[in-house]
Amino acid sequence: MPDMKRFVIAVVAVIATCGQMLSADIPPGPEGFKSRVAPFFKEHCVTCHGPEKNKGKITLHAIDGDISTGREVERWEQILKALKSGEMPPEDRKQPDEAQRKEMVEWIEVGLRDSIAKSGMVVTVPTARRLTNFEYQNTMRDLLGFKLNLIKNLPEDPVKPYKFNNTAEYMLLGPEQLDRYLENARRAMASAIVDPGVPKIHKSEMKWQARATDVGLGSNELGVYGNRRGTPATGMGVKSWPTTGEYRVRVKASAILPPGTTELPLRLVMGYNLNQNLAMLQMEPVGTAYLRNDKEHSQVFEFRGRIENYPVEPGIVGKDGKPGPPSLHITPQNLYDDGTLNDDLSFQKPRNVLLPRAVIDSIEFEAPLVDVWPPEHHTRILFDSPLRKSDPKAYVREVLKRFISRAYRRPATEEDVNHFAKIYAIVSDKLETLEAAMRETLSMVLISPQFLCHTVSEDNSLRQYELASKLSYFLWGSMPDDELMRLAAQNRLDDPAVIETQVRRLLADPRSRDFIDNFTTQWVSIDKLKSVKINTALFPRFLYLVPAGERKGTEEPYRPTIRDYMHDETVAFVAELIRRNAGVSNVVDSDFACLNVPLAAHYGVEGVTGHELRPVAIKPEHHLGGLLTHGSVLVGNSTGSAPHPIYRAVWLREAILGEEVKPPPAEVPALSDTAGDAAEKAVSIKDLLRKHRQNESCNACHARLDPWGIPFEQYNAIGKYQPKVPAASVKMVRGFDKKIDMDLAGYSTYLNRINTVPVQADSEVPRGPKIDGMEQLKAFLLKDRIDDIGENVLRRLLTYGIGRELTYRDRVEIEKLHQQSKQNNYKLQDMIVTICQSPTFRDFQTKPKGK
Amino acid sequence: MAQKSWQLSRRELIRGGGAALALPLLNGMSWGRAAAGKDLPKRMVVSYISYGVYEPKSEKGAHHDWSWWPCKDPGPLTFNKSAAPFEPLKDSVSYLRGLDHAGGYALGGHSSGDVFATGADMVNKEKTNNISIDQLAAKVNGHKTRYASLVMGTEGGTGSYGNCKTLSHYGPGRPIPSLHKPQDIFNRIFKPYAGKSIEEVRAELKREASVLDLMLENSKSMKNRLGKDDQGKLDEYLESIRALEQRVERTSKWTQTPLPEVDSKGLKLDAPLRDPVDYTRCMYDLLYLALQTDSTRYASFMLESESSTQNEVGKFASFALGYSGQTHDIAHKRPHESGLWDNWRAQQHAYFLKRLRDTKEGDGNMLDRTVVLWGSSHPHGSHDTKNYPIHLAGGNALGFKHGKLHAFEGNKKVPLANLFVSMLNAVDVPTEKFADSTGKMTEVLA
Repeated sequence: MPDMKRFVIAVVAVIATCGQMLSADIPPGPEGFKSRVAPFFKEHCVTCHGPEKNKGKITLHAIDGDISTGREVERWEQILKALKSGEMPPEDRKQPDEAQRKEMVEWIEVGLRDSIAKSGMVVTVPTARRLTNFEYQNTMRDLLGFKLNLIKNLPEDPVKPYKFNNTAEYMLLGPEQLDRYLENARRAMASAIVDPGVPKIHKSEMKWQARATDVGLGSNELGVYGNRRGTPATGMGVKSWPTTGEYRVRVKASAILPPGTTELPLRLVMGYNLNQNLAMLQMEPVGTAYLRNDKEHSQVFEFRGRIENYPVEPGIVGKDGKPGPPSLHITPQNLYDDGTLNDDLSFQKPRNVLLPRAVIDSIEFEAPLVDVWPPEHHTRILFDSPLRKSDPKAYVREVLKRFISRAYRRPATEEDVNHFAKIYAIVSDKLETLEAAMRETLSMVLISPQFLCHTVSEDNSLRQYELASKLSYFLWGSMPDDELMRLAAQNRLDDPAVIETQVRRLLADPRSRDFIDNFTTQWVSIDKLKSVKINTALFPRFLYLVPAGERKGTEEPYRPTIRDYMHDETVAFVAELIRRNAGVSNVVDSDFACLNVPLAAHYGVEGVTGHELRPVAIKPEHHLGGLLTHGSVLVGNSTGSAPHPIYRAVWLREAILGEEVKPPPAEVPALSDTAGDAAEKAVSIKDLLRKHRQNESCNACHARLDPWGIPFEQYNAIGKYQPKVPAASVKMVRGFDKKIDMDLAGYSTYLNRINTVPVQADSEVPRGPKIDGMEQLKAFLLKDRIDDIGENVLRRLLTYGIGRELTYRDRVEIEKLHQQSKQNNYKLQDMIVTICQSPTFRDFQTKPKGK
Repeated sequence: MAQKSWQLSRRELIRGGGAALALPLLNGMSWGRAAAGKDLPKRMVVSYISYGVYEPKSEKGAHHDWSWWPCKDPGPLTFNKSAAPFEPLKDSVSYLRGLDHAGGYALGGHSSGDVFATGADMVNKEKTNNISIDQLAAKVNGHKTRYASLVMGTEGGTGSYGNCKTLSHYGPGRPIPSLHKPQDIFNRIFKPYAGKSIEEVRAELKREASVLDLMLENSKSMKNRLGKDDQGKLDEYLESIRALEQRVERTSKWTQTPLPEVDSKGLKLDAPLRDPVDYTRCMYDLLYLALQTDSTRYASFMLESESSTQNEVGKFASFALGYSGQTHDIAHKRPHESGLWDNWRAQQHAYFLKRLRDTKEGDGNMLDRTVVLWGSSHPHGSHDTKNYPIHLAGGNALGFKHGKLHAFEGNKKVPLANLFVSMLNAVDVPTEKFADSTGKMTEVLA
């Protein structure tokens, strides 16, 4: 790679020149340290970070003044960050003047660059790692040509807030994991390769006739809250079904839509019979039809999927101790949701008739589908060829070669084929048919390290294919497609123009949604959203609760709820930003949000129709825009009853500003303990935090933390804009009480009566202005911190893309990418293109070159 | 919440895969290499309860009737109401106060369960969890039994970081899924051949061994073509393949030894979670049977995880006691049911210990040769992660001495890992150090 080498030299040269230019004030290296830097530390830092005190376990009195030795670069990076951001020295200490601060920053930067130049540009960390479960699942899907749910059988991948788990240090492999891979591989091959002969076809059908009932819903109707037994609400038991194969479900349906509603999402799920009031039922979705047709115009909607993915309900053990027959059930669900579902929880109440109803004429089930037999996923592996008869050995080798080339994401070598031909010989000894022996042999391909791991070859011979995989695993979370493989074969994937075309193509493909979901969920750390326990007395309308039985009072587990939509909202928003090639400022504030009816109802945005998320223009009075006000963020970082300014502050600094916030030390006392008696009198969380900060050991961290969370106080625990809170005289806010409030409107009146005081949302961020509320916070971030945010998003994408943590050695390259991106207003799609073109992304040599 | 299925039937796999292999590569257990010698077995069990325990302070210096701790002062045990179920086992139990894992401090109460059996420092030193004591013992002595270890839980699977649903870890970043379905556990331990004849099983294993051998060869040749740093990573893979190979080998060897005849009669293998007494006892029974038949000597059992609020295990207290909220809420609200709940858990554990004690073995009983740890790394409702409730039982014939409450507080503070070292030593794992240990725990040794 001659061009790479040239590039490295060029960068080094540039740095060297800059170095001389910038270090005019303080002499570079140890000399400057002695004359200027050490005295600066002594004056500003050593009191707290020295022999007497070592706050944050950092001491500066004995630091190595020669950065270029590389011994303490991480420490120097920390110092640089603290100085640059103004985080240190703390505000209540003597401040260096700006010129001095700048000099210091420059001296450290030059030192760091020298150090990098000296040690070589190439980062030497292992990048070999197993596929994440997410990548594995997608790869199997694309390799086999159908989707099997295999992830459930694997040990869960680690999840850490604000970290990506696709790095070598998290993606470890052990016997248990391998054992599960083997199980999965065999399961997958059992489905992929079918036996000769057309299999038996299983069919079930159920029809419903229109008849009036005493609950107002016809006997072929399905209300939001269900309906009686014997109506479509109870669904259909599938009489018999195959163990593998593609199924088809057809539903003939229409909708009764009250004025003002335009559609009804009708979802079908298959698995256990859901008409049991239990918490542990299992099912998987079949698909969702959006009904817009009226009763006179019934339509047939068709769904296909793999029968293997659906949980079969085991039979109940009878008195004789033997289990009864297993069952499989299809249940239709009326997913209409306008945010008021919890107002009335019974199908016998009138609202069930007033909300949209589905009319279901029939449901049909058929499996396996034999229109094309053997199915394509079979012939893709065991293709038709005269060889099969004339020269079985050659046929086997050809089958192996084709499959291995796809599974390994690079052309199979003679050696690879020999290897598996040997395995084939062993297993075919006992397994009589070609199909059976091939299933077992290919299962072994699927537990090979070449399939399970991302690796980098030593001699660069596979570089082009590795690049193809890098691109596809970054932007699809899956294996490269034919086009990428072709470009790799043609040696064209180092061409920046080709990379650009490919990145945009990959991003335009629906598979990129997998990447955006996986990336966003980890970056913005929104997993917490689902586990926060919502105080349903305070927020009676937010969730959709089960009205009775064992699950009473818990969130309906078998249908998507507002929290699922909130997750989708965040993912859809980021996807839309990338699609539009919008700038990173949209992360802070945007003129649109991605909403559907339930979300719009929640946020109070009118005029949104439809249950699929779509970009919606928003106005200032909605108090939305950007990521900061997403329900996923606000609910996930609340207590379920109240907002949590510290969680939200940590979130803002970690996810958006890209700062690392240390977890509280173990000996830290709880918030209310430190405020002591004062806690009783503290009327607001803001006061409570102020009192917490008065405790010196807490103050050091909280002074830098709390101010960021206070402006979020305008948004309540369920992520709604709520600018007013109860006055100090209100001792306690009581929850919804039917006896007192009569109905939700009554509770709302009560809340309006007590919520009279504007919430205290004013704070002063470190080295920033006074900020009052979310709008001012956003304005400040856009004005003063956009470069930090841009760099953060860039770093996150790069980290995710290369599958390793960035180190100080990446500084130079990141700075370059940052400048490039900045000049382009941090446009996100372009940013991804530049990342994929960068040497950091493309150059995954694991040892220094040019030795 | 959809429950993950950890019991993919092997029979199903075999059927689907033509006549693919019935290799019983079991989760959380592996095959012993050779029949046990004449020496009697030495066993170890680690079990976990979540959301802490009730530790109320009583007025006027008296000990609270419903404190999880049986008595107030260190010294010979007396039993309050909460700990009463252990009174009949007085000479076989110890309570240890003031122990914890420093590595769990920064994890927070709901996550520190991850490191209960490992003592790993997941926040600072190690990014991932580390090997658990049962697995270390299994690595050293697991070959002596049909299965190296048995990993059980009530919720099944691994859970994710900070939400572990298993106590056992093979090594850094490699949790072992726990088994939670009684029928599944029964079949895996006692009916591993899934109805096949021994000859069939042996033939399949033989083939499996040759295939894995080729796989190993293939991976080795691949390793040589990798970059230097990546080569190290491939060792994980090689190690895993080797482990599978070893299991096949063990499985083959153990086909020479007849399976223990265990009848499932009397076991409520279909006990639902809604009946926690039946379910928990059935799990304890299976654990007992696995030990009793010497199918394995090391086991872990996560009786509850720290994140059970989304499944039925989180409602055990309601099912068992009629408490109106989640078990999790008991810890926070500490209603009068708190003591009853601790007492309920003690009853179940005492049931298991008694079964061991009532089974003769050599000159003594099984409990004498089984050291059982029972506790939590989430002491009480405040999400604190220090001073775990620790209960140690059995192993009197392995060198343990019981009958006291020990306090390791103030200047007596030592890491919980010290106890782990002593437990490991007692089951013939000659280690001087485990996690952050600083020595042995002589206080509980005879």
